[in-house]
Parts: sequence; C-alpha cells; structure tokens
Amino acid sequence: MRPLVETRDLVKTYELGGETIHAVNGVSLTINQGEYVAIMGASGSGKSTFMNMIGCLDVPSLGTVLIDGTPTERMSSDELAALRNRKIGFVFQQFNLLARTTSIDNVAVPLIYAGLDTVTRRERATAKLIDMGLGERLLNTPAKLSGGQQQRVAIARALVTEPLILLADEPTGALDTRTSEDIMAIFEQLNASGITVIVVTHENEIAQHAKRRIEFRDGKVIEDHAVKDRMVAHQPEDEAA
Amino acid sequence: MASAAHSADPASPPSRRRSFLSSWAVNIAIAFTALRTNVMRSLLTMLGVMIGVFAVTLAVAVGNGASEAVTETINRFGSNMAILVAAPDTGDGPPRNTGVRGRLTERDLKAIEAEVPNIRAVAPQLRREMNLVVSGSNVTSEAVGTSPGYGVVTNQLADAGRYITQADVRSAARVVVLGRTVAKDLFGEFDPVGENVRINGVPFNVVGLLEAKGSTLGDDQDDTLILPISTMRQRFVGDGLAGPDDLQFAFVAFNQDASLTNGKDDIVNVLTDRYRVKPGEVTPFTVRTTEEFVEQSNFVTGILQAVLVSIASISLLVGGIGIMNIMLVSVTERTREIGLRMALGARRSAIRNQFLVEAAVLCVLGGTVGLVLAWGSGVALENYADFPVPVGIGTALGAVLFSAAIGLLFGGYPAIRASRLSPIEALRTE
Repeated sequence: MRPLVETRDLVKTYELGGETIHAVNGVSLTINQGEYVAIMGASGSGKSTFMNMIGCLDVPSLGTVLIDGTPTERMSSDELAALRNRKIGFVFQQFNLLARTTSIDNVAVPLIYAGLDTVTRRERATAKLIDMGLGERLLNTPAKLSGGQQQRVAIARALVTEPLILLADEPTGALDTRTSEDIMAIFEQLNASGITVIVVTHENEIAQHAKRRIEFRDGKVIEDHAVKDRMVAHQPEDEAA
Repeated sequence: MASAAHSADPASPPSRRRSFLSSWAVNIAIAFTALRTNVMRSLLTMLGVMIGVFAVTLAVAVGNGASEAVTETINRFGSNMAILVAAPDTGDGPPRNTGVRGRLTERDLKAIEAEVPNIRAVAPQLRREMNLVVSGSNVTSEAVGTSPGYGVVTNQLADAGRYITQADVRSAARVVVLGRTVAKDLFGEFDPVGENVRINGVPFNVVGLLEAKGSTLGDDQDDTLILPISTMRQRFVGDGLAGPDDLQFAFVAFNQDASLTNGKDDIVNVLTDRYRVKPGEVTPFTVRTTEEFVEQSNFVTGILQAVLVSIASISLLVGGIGIMNIMLVSVTERTREIGLRMALGARRSAIRNQFLVEAAVLCVLGGTVGLVLAWGSGVALENYADFPVPVGIGTALGAVLFSAAIGLLFGGYPAIRASRLSPIEALRTE
C-alpha cells in the first residue's frame, strides 16, 4: 500500500473575536493509493478545512501533511503550487470554470502552469474532454453548458495533469439528483482506473458511493470505517438523515 | 476514461523553451478576455494613457520641430557664417549699458577680408524699414543695403532680372532687387522687372527678383528688398551713423570645410587690433557664428521642450494612476479566479505576470492610439500651421515602450498584491 495522503496531529486554529477556534483539532490519518474516501460532517465540523489542508491550499497551524510521502510544511508557495499542479486535481461545488472561456481552454489551464506548449495543451485537454463525453462541447463557453456538463469540464480539468489524487468538495452540491448520479458514476470509474478519490460531502447518498467513510465533528474524526456493501447503502433511515 | 494515474512531470524538456513564449501569449490572450469583459471600463482607462502619450509625444515633436526649424532657417540663410554687429559685446545676456559705443566700418571689413583666410564672401549691411509705393499700392518691408556678396552669403540670388552689382555700389545707383512677397504685394501677377517704384519717396528701378525661399516659423524670407549699400547710406541712413563708412551689420561666410571657430577668432583678433581693445575691455563690436546661434537656439528650444514634456507628463502620470486604480479593481473582482488558478498550480510569478501583462496591454493599446493621434496632429500642424512637428520612428518607439513601462510601473503594485493572496482565502471570496 502506497500512502498518498498522511496527516499527523493536524491542527488548524482561527482567531475570531478574541476567541481561538479549533477548526481541525488533532487529526491523524492515512489515505492510500486507490482508495475512495468520503469525508462527512455537518457544516462547521472541520471537514472542509481538513480538505483544504490536504489539498495544500491552506497551511496547518500545527502538525504535518505528507503528500505521496513528502512532508509539505517547509515547502515554499511555489513548491506547493507545483505539487498541487502535478499530484492533486480539484473539483469544486460551484465548478469554478473561467467565464467566456471555451471548454478546451478551461481544461488546459493547469497545463499552462505545468509549462506545456500550446499544441500539447490543446491535445491533452481535447482528449480529456472526449473522455468525459464532451467531444461535442469543446468550443462552448460555460454559459452554453448545463450544470452537469460544466462539472464534467471541471473534472476533465482536474484530471488533465494526470494527478494521483482527485479532491472533490461537495461536487454535486449544485446539481440535481440525476446529474449527481452521473457525476458519482464518473468518480467510481475513475477510482476503478486507479485514481485515489476523496469526496467531501454532507449527503449520505453521495457518501454511499465511497469505499471508506470518515466523519468529522468539532474538528475531530469521530468515525472512520470501510463501507461494507455499497449496494445496500440506500436504506430508508439513511435517506432520512 | 483516463488510464492509470502517473505522477511524471507532464512537461518534457524540449517543450520548455516554446512554453516560455506561449505563457506570454497566454497572458496576452487572458488580458484581452479580461478587457473584453469590461469594454467600457477598458476604453476609459486606455483614454487616460492615450491622452498622456498623445501629449508627451506631441510635446517632444513640437520641441524637435522648433529646433529643426531654427537650424533649417539658419542653414537656409547660409550655414558657415560669422555675423558681425556694430554693438558692444555684452556676452550672452541681455544688452546693458557699458558706456562703449558700437563701431563697425567698411574698412574693418576690408581688413578682415585681407587678413583672415578661407573667406568665401563678405556682406556689409545697413538695414531699415522702408515704405514702397507703386501707383496706389503701398508696402512696408525691411530693406537691406549691401554689396553683391550678400547674395552669396545668404544663398539667395536673383532668378529674374539681375542682382545688384559692384558697379551699382560704386555709382550708388537707384536700383532695387525685390523679394517675391514684396513684388507680389506691389505688382500682383504683373512682372515688375524694369518697372519703377518709390522707396521712401525716392524713385528706384526694379532690376531683379530674388529667388523664393519660403518662410519658417512665420519668418518670411521673401519679405525683403536689396539695395546697393552706397545708395542706402547716401539716401536714407547716412546721417544716423558715427562715421562715413560705418555699418550696422556684416556677414562673413567661410568655405564649407573651414573651421568657424578659428574664423571667428581671426576676425575678433583683427578687430581687436584695429580698435586697440585691451584685454578685459568691452569690445565695440560683437561677433557671433551661426554655430553659436544654433547652439543657443537649441538651448532655448531644449528648455521649451523640457517644460512642455514636463507638463504633458503630468497627464501621463494621471493616466498611469488610472491604470493602477482599474487594475486594483480588476484584482479585487477576480480574486476567486486568482484562487482557482493558484489551486490549479499557478505560481505567484504566473499570477503577477498575468496582471502585469494586462496592465501593459491596456497601456500599449492606449499609447498606440495616442501615438497615432499625435502623428496625425503633427501632420496637420505641418500642413496648416507651417510648423514642422516630426513624429519620428524614435519618438514612436519611445512612446510605445514608455506606455508599456507605465503599465508595468503602475500595474506592478496591483499585480504583486494579487500574487500574494493566499489560495484558499482567494477561492473562498464570493
């Protein structure tokens, strides 16, 4: 097993109105290559802060994050940028596509920062969009795409640098149920092809697709277990939760 | 679907060099997208730089034009020349009372001609405003009483009829050579050669017309008339002079390859001897060269240009501040985009360059339009106001580079501010 994400005694505190808030309060866990993890928790449980830290977008107050075995706490902002570019793909709730920019150019953005030339960027972006079933939408701007299509462009963008880890923060939060199912199906296929998928969500149905559930409350992990049978997940009491 | 993930750096070495150029191309493309998003705002911002570059370019061009015009006037008049004035030399400052009376005589000029080498021609002069009358037409112009050498020195001979001759000077003949402007004002389209004209009441015969020289900076070189110096002295100005052969001015033209500085020194030495001027005393004569006039006028036009450019620069500064203002707004508006780009792997320098390029694009676009307007105004001024305003390649390149520099200077702070944002703070911005 190759540990891709490791955290040791991870702490993130904020000063708010003279009070110290422990958004993440001592979390140590390991996520290995090939896992499909759902990070659950209510709003304010610390799950998003945790995700931002393992995504190297935010710096821990205390503790360590290791990505693919490399500690990140001494890295410069440029080294962190390069690490995000090569090893982590992000998918956001609001898609975060550049307006007035075609699908190809949106997907090619990470390749600009990888230092690739225009032709290679276009080739790779086109290939990823075709993989996502968007071969007909290469030159559309986000305004001309449905929510599901926009999120698939965003997934293509996350995958275009061939990252080890896909980090998705409420990826279906802005989508209807059917489209959400499509997106989750894509995540499952990606995971089957070897990518480590980490999804942050507060929805049980979404979490049921994962193989492992980690639940946060008050900045701590209160539950961390494998999902036994994913097909039996859709039970009435879960739906009601 | 994607094949198994691998972590190899996707940038293979051969593509690095091309990617450097393409990253600038990308930044320029991003800049144009951003400018299109806010067309009105972009145009207004560009307007500031446009006016600034227009003003500065035009100020530089006007200054260059003025100094070019002065040089041209002097060259047209005869370039390698010393100008002698019957007035005490008070240096470069304004005239002051020295108690010394100005002197300069035809005998002085003869002595100079005899003793100083490399002289091409000399032209003694008496000048006076004259009133010319021909059957009802009435014109006032400055008459030059001189010798035939004047035509050589000033490079302006007669191209109809003839110039004044040595014989005219010896006999104090009542003959006149008219400049084209005077001729036209007096005679219209009628050929005046051979006609009579009354000059301050005295009848003269028109023997020739001066070749047309045109005018520079409003100074019409065809608004003149030439008389023999002897006639001028006897008929008009003799009584006001200190001696029987006194002059007001004299021009001494040197051969083209002769040193004007040496020539001037020689002239001063001859005159200093003749007037027995002791070292440290004020000389009763003044000697200047065309070189000195060019230098002096370049100094003056240089100051004029510096003043104009400083004033114009203020508008460019204001334009630059407009750029900074709009770039700060742009950074604030696009904080989320900055966060996203950072999440996707943009280094700080990439974000900084993106906004620098955007500011530079704004400035270069505005600057180019300003430059074109300045060039157009220059052409218009030259055609309609008889004032040369040369917007050369150097000025043009300078203007565009300068506007890019303004963009980098004033876009620098907003760009650096953008690059210092924390990725997560930026992403969270609504």
